[in-house]
Amino acid sequence: MSGSYDRALTVFSPDGHLFQVEYASEAVRRGTCAVGVRGKDVVVLGVEKKSVLQLQDPRTVRKVAMLDDHICLAFAGLTADGRVLIDKARIECQSHRLTVEDPVTVEYITRHIATIQQKYTQSGGVRPFGVATLIVGFDPHTTEPKLLQTEPGGIYSEWKANAIGRSSKTVREFLEKNHKDDLSRDDAIKLTVKSLLEVVQTGAKNIEISVMESYGKVTSLELSQIEGIVQEIEREKEAEAERKRSRLAAAAAGQAAMSQRVDTPAQ
Amino acid sequence: MARRYDSRTTIFSPEGRLYQIEYAMEAISHAGTVLGVLAKDGIVLAAEKKVTGKLLDLSGAKEGGYGGSGEKIFLLNSNVITGVAGITADANSLVNYSREAAQRHLYMYNEDIPVEMLAQRLCDLKQGYTQYGGLRPFGVSLLYAGHDVHFNFQLYHSDPSGNYSGWKATSIGANSGTAQSLLKQEYKEDITLEDAISLVLRVMSKTMDSTTLGSEKLEFATLTLDAEKRPKAKIYRPTEIDSLLRKHDLAKKEEDTEMKS
Amino acid sequence: METAFALTGKGYVLLAADTTAVHSIIKVKTDVDKIKELSPCLLMAYSGEPGDTVQFAEYIERNIRLYHIRNNFPLRPPSAASWIRRSLADSLRSRKPYSVNLLLGGYDTSTYMPHLYWMDYFGTLAEVPFAAHGYGSYFTLSLLDKYHDPEATVEEGIATLKRCIDEVSKRLVVSPARFKVKIVDKDGVREIEL
Repeated sequence: MSGSYDRALTVFSPDGHLFQVEYASEAVRRGTCAVGVRGKDVVVLGVEKKSVLQLQDPRTVRKVAMLDDHICLAFAGLTADGRVLIDKARIECQSHRLTVEDPVTVEYITRHIATIQQKYTQSGGVRPFGVATLIVGFDPHTTEPKLLQTEPGGIYSEWKANAIGRSSKTVREFLEKNHKDDLSRDDAIKLTVKSLLEVVQTGAKNIEISVMESYGKVTSLELSQIEGIVQEIEREKEAEAERKRSRLAAAAAGQAAMSQRVDTPAQ
Repeated sequence: MARRYDSRTTIFSPEGRLYQIEYAMEAISHAGTVLGVLAKDGIVLAAEKKVTGKLLDLSGAKEGGYGGSGEKIFLLNSNVITGVAGITADANSLVNYSREAAQRHLYMYNEDIPVEMLAQRLCDLKQGYTQYGGLRPFGVSLLYAGHDVHFNFQLYHSDPSGNYSGWKATSIGANSGTAQSLLKQEYKEDITLEDAISLVLRVMSKTMDSTTLGSEKLEFATLTLDAEKRPKAKIYRPTEIDSLLRKHDLAKKEEDTEMKS
Repeated sequence: METAFALTGKGYVLLAADTTAVHSIIKVKTDVDKIKELSPCLLMAYSGEPGDTVQFAEYIERNIRLYHIRNNFPLRPPSAASWIRRSLADSLRSRKPYSVNLLLGGYDTSTYMPHLYWMDYFGTLAEVPFAAHGYGSYFTLSLLDKYHDPEATVEEGIATLKRCIDEVSKRLVVSPARFKVKIVDKDGVREIEL
């Protein structure tokens, strides 16, 4: 603590913690939530977006960025850090094409981003990136969707479905319970929206969904489409509750009937 | 213990916050208000000057190259003007940097720099100062008013963290909350430049500390298109500001009461 | 022998380039694409020192793509031309300059105007209604001078282009076997089969 501000900021504490990295992860947890879900031949990114203020230009509020024709990234954490990291990744995507004539693979660019993040945990006089990312896409010449994640410490990992940012733990638990392999396009989108609704109380207007269906084919859903899905989910939830209630009622009626010793069996 | 996270360079606090940035923003909330309103045929910027004094020599500003006193509103490029709030010395260096960036773009591409790109350049610099060692963040927020062929007239705001966003009307500096809610109430889509000017002056007169508006406390600028559809920035000279205020009946205290009704 | 030419019309630019790769006096390939698609509305035909051409064109292609993806909008044709010229001019003054001649055709989606630029390896840049590089230019330029019409429809433009190709095939000692033709207009770029 002797004014050594320009030396390595991220150093081990006596009990083996890298505090700055842990605090950076805390910054991620303060960021908006992002969800990625992999289906059979589709991968979906969903992000919670803050309400666009009345006088704000919605065009400039971006949470999902294209890194190249076939790779999409969503981040949680400090927006400015995210922007800078995205810029570095975009340069690498084109540089890779120039050097080896092939587009990057999803894992390659994820590893590249994670490496940058790692460097900022071990170099002198810097703080780590306060950003976690979800990277989705298709490798060139393949039909298999990919979903990878990076963290401020520089760890990267591949997932079937995952969440980062605010309340990501709740969302991840929800995904663990509800994710199935080989989801269709619609089911993958629905699961994404459903899991986001676990933390986004305000519904469709604060949700943004991007769908990647094959190499280079990305679409973002319109608000009306998301609203439709939200309504469908709500209807299902109601129907489920209704079924539960009627089953309870039926059971109660059955018991009542039994106690009255009527011959007709309970339904 | 608290000093561990807020006395030195920018590092994360245990809650994942960057105190230096938050403090920098605090510095800005004491600075003179800057207001920007996007109209369909132009943009208006106005700023409250804090450096005043009876003995302050403003003769330079009167004859200044492109108008303005060089405290709050600057020309960044032929298609972008900016209003700054925060530490003036930091602002000066950011203004220099962005003028250079704009000229570099002109040199490489033979076109005026797109407005968002200029904002982004500056924000990348600002972000760097929140991450690399031994530096404190810039204590400056800016409003950029500009025009390019991609998105026509645009108004951006950037803060010390290196975030930026586009707006139809917004404000930074002291009383920016009040100004913003006034703007929210009174802003209409497809507002004309004339109406935007009067809106800006009205909001400015309500949010400024002093009761009288005058050229010694106010800077004012517009960005419009000229006859050849090229962007034309006009930073008002003190005499022009005074006549503008007279035109809108905001120059004298007596008339100010009429406004409030 | 290498030949590339281009012409503007009403809302479009047509570019044509031969498809031969030559080594010494031998044709080694007749299906080379010498017109790169730089962005959704920008085409570049290149000729010159083999090797240099591809290296330079790929460098330009990747940087223009990078600009597009970083900013969410592409570089406009006039700005792209200025930047490519700058790259060539800087290269000329380096230790190993690129020897590449270019034709750049683009459609500016913000002003709804087609643009055609002629550029040589000295870094000369000129916006022109029609242009040509290589030995074929000796015939095509005079033909284009006579037949070019800036208000021509695509069909008329293609007819003029065919005249040029026919003349080149007829007159040039070693005439290219095939030409590749591409068009750029408000809908983007596509190849045209003659």
